[in-house]
Amino acid sequence: MIIAIATNKQDIKAMVDPHFGRCEWYCLFDTETRESLFIENPLCNNQEKAGCNAAELLVGKNIKMAIAGRFGSKVVEVFRKNNIQMVIPETQKTVAEIINQIK
Amino acid sequence: MSRTKKDRLIQMAPHFYGFKPQGVPCKTGEDVCINFEEYEALNLCDYELLTQAEAAKLMNISRPTFTRIYESVRRKIAKAFIEGSCIHFEGGNVTIANWFKCNHCRIVFTFAENAKKLCPFCKSEILTENN
Repeated sequence: MIIAIATNKQDIKAMVDPHFGRCEWYCLFDTETRESLFIENPLCNNQEKAGCNAAELLVGKNIKMAIAGRFGSKVVEVFRKNNIQMVIPETQKTVAEIINQIK
Repeated sequence: MSRTKKDRLIQMAPHFYGFKPQGVPCKTGEDVCINFEEYEALNLCDYELLTQAEAAKLMNISRPTFTRIYESVRRKIAKAFIEGSCIHFEGGNVTIANWFKCNHCRIVFTFAENAKKLCPFCKSEILTENN
């Protein structure tokens, strides 16, 4: 299963980004191989529909779960339609902490 | 008897309880209460920049009803700002769209369709609905 984690740096010790659409990087973590791959969000500075397009980009990467501080309503719609689970950590956590929590 | 209000669908309740003004003591009894549907209306319209028609569709209400809720929240916020009163979030006729919470992992999440109802991190079955 591939999990996308929104973050602001290309670094596993970076914080999970508080907003899904406007983050600069996504960490794609594969639970089987336990490898993580960073991809850049090309749309983070778009005026409109940043989250929506980013969500579609990630759907194309076959993710099954997305983690971020909050999701916009359009992103929620895209993810619900594509059957992708969304997770919001209640406290500020780093990407590494999240990965360690996933078994 | 008046007609009962339809439930409004909101994506997520606010994760804090309200606001208070700086530098003045909070007088009780003069607080402004913003209910969850008003909070969601403001979020959709002014934070996520949807049009009122799009936002109304997301909340399962008609466009005129949405406009009424939105106007009411703007007036309440203005009242609180000008008079320096506290703002509380509470109440309202809402259903919250399928978010669950695991108290052990301190996360909030949704489920994919037909998935088992387990916490994605610790696999515990003890979940509460997030509202």
